[in-house]
Amino acid sequence: MIAWDQALAAPRDSAPPRPGLAKEALLRGFHPDHAPGAMTGLLVGSSAGQPCPTELAALLHANALIQDVDIAGSVMRDADVLVVGAGGAGCVAALTAARAGARVLLVSKLRMGDGNTVMAEGGIQAAIGADDSLQKHYEDTLRAGHFRAERGLVAAMVSDGPEAIRWLIQQGMGFDLAEGEDRVGGRMLRKKPGGATAARLLSYHDYTGLEMMRVLREAVLLTPGITVLERHPAVELLTDAHGACAGAVLLDMEERRLVLARAGATVLSTGGAGRLHLAGFPTSNHYGATADGLVLAYRLGAALREMESFQYHPTGIAWPPHLAGTLISEAARAAGATMHNGLGQRFVDELAPRDVVAAAILRELHEGRGV
Amino acid sequence: MTDTPIAVTMDGHVIEAAPGASLIQAWMSAGLPLTENVGCMGQGVCGACRVLVRRQGERIAQAALACETRAEAGMQVSFVDHFSARRTHAYDLASMTDSWAALGAIDAVFPEAKSCRHCGGCDAACPKGIEVQKAVILAVEGRALAAGALFDHCIMCNLCVAACPEHIAPAHLGQFLRRMGASLSLRPGDLVLRLAEIEAGRQTIDLDAPQP
Repeated sequence: MIAWDQALAAPRDSAPPRPGLAKEALLRGFHPDHAPGAMTGLLVGSSAGQPCPTELAALLHANALIQDVDIAGSVMRDADVLVVGAGGAGCVAALTAARAGARVLLVSKLRMGDGNTVMAEGGIQAAIGADDSLQKHYEDTLRAGHFRAERGLVAAMVSDGPEAIRWLIQQGMGFDLAEGEDRVGGRMLRKKPGGATAARLLSYHDYTGLEMMRVLREAVLLTPGITVLERHPAVELLTDAHGACAGAVLLDMEERRLVLARAGATVLSTGGAGRLHLAGFPTSNHYGATADGLVLAYRLGAALREMESFQYHPTGIAWPPHLAGTLISEAARAAGATMHNGLGQRFVDELAPRDVVAAAILRELHEGRGV
Repeated sequence: MTDTPIAVTMDGHVIEAAPGASLIQAWMSAGLPLTENVGCMGQGVCGACRVLVRRQGERIAQAALACETRAEAGMQVSFVDHFSARRTHAYDLASMTDSWAALGAIDAVFPEAKSCRHCGGCDAACPKGIEVQKAVILAVEGRALAAGALFDHCIMCNLCVAACPEHIAPAHLGQFLRRMGASLSLRPGDLVLRLAEIEAGRQTIDLDAPQP
């Protein structure tokens, strides 16, 4: 470790990073996924045998929070569709179901909207430019995912992109237009995301997620047929006689009692797991991102996928302390920012894939060139 | 900066905060339960961590966000609940297809707005420094886009809703104006063209290209 003032005094060497280890050796040596004990095989169910981060596996394998006896005599609520999780995805699911005539119960551990969607800054991707196409967006996405993505799923997401932007505008969301362009017929402001061959990042200032989430929240509040229960985390899913999902057990945090939500269909839109602080790292996730949905689904026997693929984003704020864990977007590096170790040297191509950049940072720390 | 802890009082608990810590971090590191009034945890966008803060030597408490406010010695802090509007100001954006009727809808949906008594309570309540009262007045004058633009940094914390003695629900009024503006008048040309191409079947995807 190099002291801060000493590192600050070291001359900034703008020379490109010296060629280091090959990508595979770097990842194997220093990426948190490859640390001894980082992964555990899941033990039971249709996901048995899959590798999974050890901290998450401990939650998946944990005992139930409640027993049958705890739910006896609980208040019962009925709905056609139960949506667990009220971030961006949950609100859109609730709106879609309610507008199709379903009675919807939208439940949230925190408050509606207090999720990752509201925190999104950079933007949302859709191939709308004349120099862009759905095919380009599809290929860029496959390439960025080392061709491990499911092609049909990528094609579906990419194809829905432009229609999703129209839908959001119809709900009342604003988007930035390119400078000097008109609201009718003008061109949208497009930025180029990392790894893309065309500019397709659409945004509203640097708080795209906030603009999106306040529109979705307002739409949910005004749509008849949606009942919102805030501070009602789901603690277990319910099954019918055939083992199919039939709703969820909720915990009413206000009254400290369990509520049974019985539903014809249940949607899990519970978000991620960043707040488990896998391997002890800070996170840019919101406070509620604790893998609840994964645990609920696993316990019901659902097959989990790609449990081993969590992203360790390489850059974030370490100081001042009240901002620790806040994301420093890849846009900073895309705009030309370089990274230097305690000796002032660059040590990795800053625009290499994120797993490589993260592993290189950890190597510098491990070998004593951190600050 | 020294490492001497800072003493603050939060919801009746005397807490030792690390220097530089935000109020919400101080609360957490004191080991107190945090199951509400929390969301984005530091970005200042979700509006969940509403607090009233009284600084040492001041008489008036100010509304703030606990994730954006750093602990100072002698601060007295209390979390504030989320207040829903007293009544829902209902409208259906999808059925508002006649833009000539849009300005009239402001008074139809938010009739309380014209009763604003200019007390400034909403301005004082806003943790983001939005000119809420000015926006309400502009809305009553029918200046929909200008009024909506003033709510650009609104995080829907609803403190202005709680503060308004006339139950105007300014945050919801702001959203109404902004949503109306986008849904009635934002028609980007490149997006419209691309949608037409997709509908005409001229943007198909070849699933097999490319290969690694």
